[in-house]
Amino acid sequence: MATEIKLPRLGQGMESGTIVRWLKSEGEPVEKGEPLYELDTDKVTQEVEADASGVLLRIAVEEGEVEVGRTIALIGQEGESVPDEAPAPAPEEPAKPEAKRAAPAAQTLQQTVARSDGRGGGRIKASPLARRIARERGVELSSLQGTGPEGRIVAEDVERAAAAPAPAAAVPAPPFEAEVVPLTSLRRTVARRMTEAWQAPAFQISTSADMTRALAIRARLVERGDTPKPTISDLLTKVSAAALMRHREVNALYEGDAVRLLASADIGMAVATERGLLVPVIRGCERLTIPEIAAARADLVERARSGKLQQADLEGGSFTISNLGMYGVEQFVAVLNPPQAAILAVGAVQETPVARDGAVEIRPLMTMTLTCDHRSVDGATAADFLRTLKTFLEEPGLAL
Amino acid sequence: MPELSYREAVRDALATAMRRDDEVFVMGEDIAEMGGSMGVTQGMLDEFGPERVRNTPISEMALVGAGIGAAMQGMRPVVEVMYEDFLTLACEQIVNQAAKHRYMSGGQVKVPLTVRTQGGAGWSPGAQHAQQLEAWFVHVPGLKVVFASTPADVRGLLYTSIYDDNPVVFFEHRTLYGIKEEVPDELEPIELGKARVHREGEDVTVVATGRLVHEALRAAEEAEGEGVSVEVVDPRTLQPLDEETLVASVKKTNRCVVAHEAVTRMGFGAEVAAVLQHQAFDWLDAPIERVGARFTPLPFAPVMEEWVVPHAADVLEAIRRTVGRNGH
Amino acid sequence: MAKLEERQALPEEDLRDFFREMLLIRRFEEKVEERFRAGELPGFLHVAIGQEAVAVGVCRALEERDVMASTHRAHGHTLARGTPPNALMAELYGKVEGCSRGYGGSMHLYDVERGNLGANAVVGGGLPGIVGAALAFKLRGEDRVALAFFGDGATNIGTFHESLNLAQLWGVPAVFVCEDNHWAESTPASQHLPIRDLEQRAVAYGMESTKVDGQDVEAVYGATAQALEHARSGRGPFFLLCETYRLVGHYVGDPQVYRPKDELARLRETEDPIDKLRERLGLSDEEVEEVDREVTGIVETSVEFAKNGTDPEPGDALKNVYA
Repeated sequence: MATEIKLPRLGQGMESGTIVRWLKSEGEPVEKGEPLYELDTDKVTQEVEADASGVLLRIAVEEGEVEVGRTIALIGQEGESVPDEAPAPAPEEPAKPEAKRAAPAAQTLQQTVARSDGRGGGRIKASPLARRIARERGVELSSLQGTGPEGRIVAEDVERAAAAPAPAAAVPAPPFEAEVVPLTSLRRTVARRMTEAWQAPAFQISTSADMTRALAIRARLVERGDTPKPTISDLLTKVSAAALMRHREVNALYEGDAVRLLASADIGMAVATERGLLVPVIRGCERLTIPEIAAARADLVERARSGKLQQADLEGGSFTISNLGMYGVEQFVAVLNPPQAAILAVGAVQETPVARDGAVEIRPLMTMTLTCDHRSVDGATAADFLRTLKTFLEEPGLAL
Repeated sequence: MPELSYREAVRDALATAMRRDDEVFVMGEDIAEMGGSMGVTQGMLDEFGPERVRNTPISEMALVGAGIGAAMQGMRPVVEVMYEDFLTLACEQIVNQAAKHRYMSGGQVKVPLTVRTQGGAGWSPGAQHAQQLEAWFVHVPGLKVVFASTPADVRGLLYTSIYDDNPVVFFEHRTLYGIKEEVPDELEPIELGKARVHREGEDVTVVATGRLVHEALRAAEEAEGEGVSVEVVDPRTLQPLDEETLVASVKKTNRCVVAHEAVTRMGFGAEVAAVLQHQAFDWLDAPIERVGARFTPLPFAPVMEEWVVPHAADVLEAIRRTVGRNGH
Repeated sequence: MAKLEERQALPEEDLRDFFREMLLIRRFEEKVEERFRAGELPGFLHVAIGQEAVAVGVCRALEERDVMASTHRAHGHTLARGTPPNALMAELYGKVEGCSRGYGGSMHLYDVERGNLGANAVVGGGLPGIVGAALAFKLRGEDRVALAFFGDGATNIGTFHESLNLAQLWGVPAVFVCEDNHWAESTPASQHLPIRDLEQRAVAYGMESTKVDGQDVEAVYGATAQALEHARSGRGPFFLLCETYRLVGHYVGDPQVYRPKDELARLRETEDPIDKLRERLGLSDEEVEEVDREVTGIVETSVEFAKNGTDPEPGDALKNVYA
């Protein structure tokens, strides 16, 4: 009797996934635990392992979005007959099994590559290094003229384009038609979750902190030669963890009929990637030193950008920090990351004239806005937390 | 620091080990009174006597096999196979016996044997006395493979090979015996598996072995004149391979040429290129170029031989291709 | 062709012990055939049923400090050299408890502690190494001999000639034991040997030699003892030709289409070394049955031991490649 391979639930909140491609073809032997197909879920693209051994008798869903629990393949004994009606019908070409072997998977891959490069047709000739630099600096390869051997785009071409005052981006020829970009599964997830979040009764409170001492601490750590270099975000993560431990109502999840106060500050960081927004979580921040947080952050950001995050990296946060300071944003309001009770939006540190003892001084200030779910947190609780956070940032010695 | 020729350096490594240690002895064809076909063992018979500098019949199988047997008893024999072309005769013993005794016995024995050999073109011996067959032996798990390109390297590496507990196939290059280099006063063993960076550069890495190290250095000089900065790295040990140094170099320069005198097809350079494309894929700004002999047996006529094997000009041309621009 | 001086007959007690050892080897190999046919044993197996007298006669004459190298038909040599049946059977089952830790198998049986430098699956492959071991003994002035087993087929391969030549040239303490069982795999001597008398092979290299009835364990023992004595006393290597019979196919499962049908039946009647020794000792049925029960028990135990052995971790395949 063949084993039905169903789309597994790979994380909380996962309702469907998109099969990117199969790593085995029909008729190929499969060992339990071997990677069977690539699945694009809400957050990551991952290889899913076979949960039975045998021969891959039938691929029921070649590619595309599938709801959790649906049968996507059959694994059984060689030669075993497979009832045609058993698995969910494949959307296209149901009658031609031979056409569904290996080849379509390759085609799918090709399309994915082409799409991700933002081009319809032919492959652009670029060196691996040029591709990497282009990826890192957000340079569109299709806009470049290669100067390497056989017209290949080489690193220098990308660097030149990246260094130029973005003329290509500034004056693009206006497209004749509006471009329709279908939502990726990640984009769809972001849309769904943010819409959900918008329904929560949220409120915001803001304050500014004098970052003189915090900056000095960071400078000392950098001077000490710590790698990766600790950032203001790392320090903020550390200090927030300390504040959350004092105000557990803010380190909480809203669960409909209860509010769960968490014992550990598992802080999510909003990371912008090519594919969209991801929020990997650093666990137990209250127990980590700033260099440890920096190391964890560097690892997660790197993996987020290279698409190598695991589902587990994205789950189970208790609080989120979104920092747009590096983009020069002075202050902003973040949308809740449900079921978390609160999210902190942080702007840039700015030299600001401050009245102090009757005189005006220039101080580096940073504005923070806390968005709270009123079902979990009241205004006063939120204000208390924000005050502690401000105090810790201004007198880091109290928190560290 | 004294200056030694490559030939003297080999001899010095052998003699140093033999003076230190009765378990080390050498055997091979014509190595006693004649001092070896390359003159490497000249004078050693006088110092060490015929029991430890053993002339043998022309019997490569038995010669290498006897080395294996003595090594399994804990001695450290150094067997000289006159030309690496003749390794073909001893292949059964090297590949099936030396490389596998330890494995097949589940770790009960060691085979601390060193097989020294030499080869290389440039003197028109024809097809059976100048091949470069080092890649064959890299393909055999259980063997270590060394290819030394300078006097200091050959001295330190040979000494280490003698004291390595595994069978080592040790390649020397015929045309290098006369070259000289300053060497440390006291013999300094060189760890197997450590590459040597002969010359640092920014634009292209040339990974070269044997004679081609010297050709690559000449090519690098010329490239410098054209504004291309070339790094020349000699892995020295082909197995184990210092992947770390090669990868780091290519990550720095983003371009690579692999160069050896052996035939390009399935040559050692193919393995280097595979390692680099895998470990430094995102750092490569050009396809890895290979330089090696053309796919033909070695011809006799000097003009043909010269044309078949690679020289500095071929390395330079490959360097230019990797940094090439349209219109070049 | 040295004339061996007549030796005194061995004490009956020793011969009874030889009988037991030979029967153990026979029952062990029969069990190996049986388990192979039952599909339990992996790999390529060669048994030496009919050649037990050579294995026991030669190995019992060796001193503990001597070393030997065997062939692809190695079970008898290995047992006679003292490797416990459990360790040997475990090796055939590919277990960690095997004499080669599961890395070798039937054709690569090693027991270095007992001076067994390994069975060799390349015909003639072990001979040069034995010359080298003997050279090491000579250079170090050690009172040890290195001995190689090989078959009549191996006398046609280059390593045999190069090794005998080198050994004689250097006068190393080596003994070359040729088990002439008249078949090189499936090829009879008439198709692979241009000479009748294999002792001429030794003559060509100026090496002393003798020929012995390989089905007579007492004779094999005596001849080996003299060959070892010759080598040990510094008189150079020795070539010992044992005429013997393979009473089975080349490998387990060999249909032996190449062999005249009546040959096997006749040889089993007339050339079984165990029957010969039994006759020589005048053993009663009861005596034989008692020994048989004992050795059969040992063999059964070895199968149990092997089946209960430990499978190596697949990843252990990467160990022992380098020292």
